[in-house]
Amino acid sequence: MSLHVEELGQDLRKLVGDDHVHTDLIERMNYADTALPYDLEKEELPDLVVHPANAQEVSEVLKYANERRIPVTTYGSGTSLIFGTKPKHRGITLSTERLNALEIDEAHQWLECGAGVKIGHLVRELGKLGYFFPIQTQAASSVGGAVSVNTLGHLTDNIFGRPVNNVLGLEVVLPTGEILQTGSTCLRRAAGWDLTRIFVGAEGVLGIITKIRMVLYPAPETVDAVGFFRKTEQIGLAIGLMYKQKLPLPMDGEFVGEKACKVGYEAYGLDFPEGALAVTRSMGRTREEAERNAGELVALFKRVGATESFILEDEEIREKVWGVRENAMRWGQEKGLKGFLAIEVNPPLPRLPEAIRELSHVTEGRKGLIGQTESYLYGHVGSDSLHCLFAFPYGWSLEKMKQVVDEIWRLEKELQLKYDGVGGDWGWFPYRVPLYREKYGEASYAIIEKMKQLFDPHNILNRGNIEGEV
Amino acid sequence: MNGEQITESLEKDLNEALVSCEKCHLCNTVCPIVDTRVTQGPFGINRAVYYGLKWHGLSEHVRDLVHSCTTCGKCVAMCKMVSRALPLVEIFEKARALLLESGLGPMPEQREVLKNIYRRGNPWGYPPHERTQWAEGLDIKKVSKEDTVDVLYFVGCASSYDPQAQKIARNLTRIFTQAGVNFGILEGEQCSGSETRRIGETGLFEHLAEMNTQMFASVGAKGIVTGDPHSYYSFSREYPDLGKGLKVQHYTHFLNELMEEGKLKLSSRAETTVTYHDPCYLGRHSEVFEEPRALIRRIPGVTLVEMEKSREDSDCCGMGGGRMWIEVPRGLLSSQAIAESRIRQALDTGAEIVLTACPFCNITLGDAVKSMGKEDSIKVMDITELVLMAS
Repeated sequence: MSLHVEELGQDLRKLVGDDHVHTDLIERMNYADTALPYDLEKEELPDLVVHPANAQEVSEVLKYANERRIPVTTYGSGTSLIFGTKPKHRGITLSTERLNALEIDEAHQWLECGAGVKIGHLVRELGKLGYFFPIQTQAASSVGGAVSVNTLGHLTDNIFGRPVNNVLGLEVVLPTGEILQTGSTCLRRAAGWDLTRIFVGAEGVLGIITKIRMVLYPAPETVDAVGFFRKTEQIGLAIGLMYKQKLPLPMDGEFVGEKACKVGYEAYGLDFPEGALAVTRSMGRTREEAERNAGELVALFKRVGATESFILEDEEIREKVWGVRENAMRWGQEKGLKGFLAIEVNPPLPRLPEAIRELSHVTEGRKGLIGQTESYLYGHVGSDSLHCLFAFPYGWSLEKMKQVVDEIWRLEKELQLKYDGVGGDWGWFPYRVPLYREKYGEASYAIIEKMKQLFDPHNILNRGNIEGEV
Repeated sequence: MNGEQITESLEKDLNEALVSCEKCHLCNTVCPIVDTRVTQGPFGINRAVYYGLKWHGLSEHVRDLVHSCTTCGKCVAMCKMVSRALPLVEIFEKARALLLESGLGPMPEQREVLKNIYRRGNPWGYPPHERTQWAEGLDIKKVSKEDTVDVLYFVGCASSYDPQAQKIARNLTRIFTQAGVNFGILEGEQCSGSETRRIGETGLFEHLAEMNTQMFASVGAKGIVTGDPHSYYSFSREYPDLGKGLKVQHYTHFLNELMEEGKLKLSSRAETTVTYHDPCYLGRHSEVFEEPRALIRRIPGVTLVEMEKSREDSDCCGMGGGRMWIEVPRGLLSSQAIAESRIRQALDTGAEIVLTACPFCNITLGDAVKSMGKEDSIKVMDITELVLMAS
């Protein structure tokens, strides 16, 4: 599509103000960049970027674009890393970054925030008042983005519920410009068909979420524990038992595989037992209760054969243990490998040990470029997200990079189908359309297409995402 | 290296460093200059430089972004903690050097600053002979080879010329005198060059480093004490030949030592609640967090309360990295807004005084209190002022 960008810019400036429309190459670039191990091309950039200040301005922009059939891609924070926010058909990128108002209403026991509020900011502001936010995506991610992909709390999901369970209501702008208010302002769910549930998890293809109302949770007391295991699959076994034995679930739990631990320990100069580690954050209404719950996990880890397990009382050791996990992305770099790509596999609980075993050796004996990568396993214990990070040199040619990415993605799809996984951690629907169609069938996919047609008759919003364009 | 080789080498360094950015955006969550857009802050600057080099060379837009950084270093700590440990401040300084080399940089207002430093030894272009006017009536020794001292007090440009910051120099030298320290200042003190390096003028920095190193050696200085964290950082970490046998201290080190040795005694009670703002180049860059706090705690009657963001996590005053002299381009957060945000944190503590240990922070935070109309609620002071009151 050929657009008269200058004219488009002039029109949009009238809608959102002169300072909030950007056509400069350098400004537009950030709204298309991805975490793929190869660079953007200029042709992939949006024609311009707009930053509306409220739902009314979003509505004006969408009406304008809808009348002219101009594609609009929504941008929250770009931390889904690869697929959702990259414009597939150029046009307008609409950023929600200025939708950043926040109100915490203790009387009503909810918070209401703009879609562009960052999770880190929200967590901090809630923390000051003694509340906990049940979405644990990284600090730079936006609330609108997290709610749109209905993710992610790791184990928090299983305790406090997924975003869809905690959102009371939304303000949404349809691609045709109508502004909807959904849900309720009390703690009771709305009567009838609550449209909130249609937009949460729709990954932004049906409308632009501009405001979110969510319930408040008092912040629990927390105590962390660690378990060291000779083999990573022992952690999978322990997690299955944790559920079966009805132990108090931790609100957060991570694991790091053997190979990744080795590199992490070397990087930090840590003298921890050889093998893998699991780190958990138990909670309670009181510190004693949290300690008791953490103690139960320590006992479980020991029963399953942990070489060592203890409550993380020492602040310095605690930071180092979490540091080994948080530095997941640096493991390849320690070996001079700057290129990387991570995948996600979600096996059901009984198959966790088997999946962990396979992923621990996933590159061994493989032909193709994937066999030349270094792989590191880590993930979220108990919420069934195993991540495998493949590291490779950045010096590879573009062709080789694209080939290895393709091989890794094919492998992920094979593994998801084998282990009956879904890939719901990162919300990469554009990339997972083939998996979705194969797993759920064409009848399911056709419903998505029909709903899209109903909400967005000219397919202006995030065009290419449900089509599986990446 | 000739100009072309320097450019080539800088471009290579920048590309190698920036290619491995994980794009997690977490650097932007701690950056004081980010307002709302992803294009602002360390992530935006990093990508602008990377793609600027790749696509079309560098532009004025890229220059404005690169120079919007205060070099506070919070992004560096974040990247080290959770991602690929990119030395972002170092990268941005190299980008500034490259911009300067290509003729695009520095920012227009900084050209005059660099010229002044080169010609007159200070960024504002004040006459060199006025550099020691702050010391008139204090009977301070001018150090020379013939008349050497135990402690060479390096005043720094701000405390030499700025009326507000001159108080720091006067207070500190009064404290030295009370403690019986054999100290002196240089008649021909020059800029340490710290800000020239931040701006990207590495050639001028090297020239100043060489000149100052020779001057320190020529007067037979045994130790240097300074109240300027920027100079302290450059002397201790960036002057290639200074570390050999010359002890460099920020005054917060030195005054603690004087008290431990019983040479400086504080007897008057201050009876006040204070909070402490960590200057970026003393705290995060030089890792001096405890000494200023120890010094504050030694002042009788003073209660120290911490701000929401302190020590490694402390926010910037907004004036570092050469920002002091530029008009921040439209669409980027102003230094005043950054300083006011820091003052709001200080007000939240309920403290009556914000103490700091840097002339830049002192000036900037003091101005923010005035612009917010909060003079009745909180005061900004250098630690030396309170120490002197108690001594």
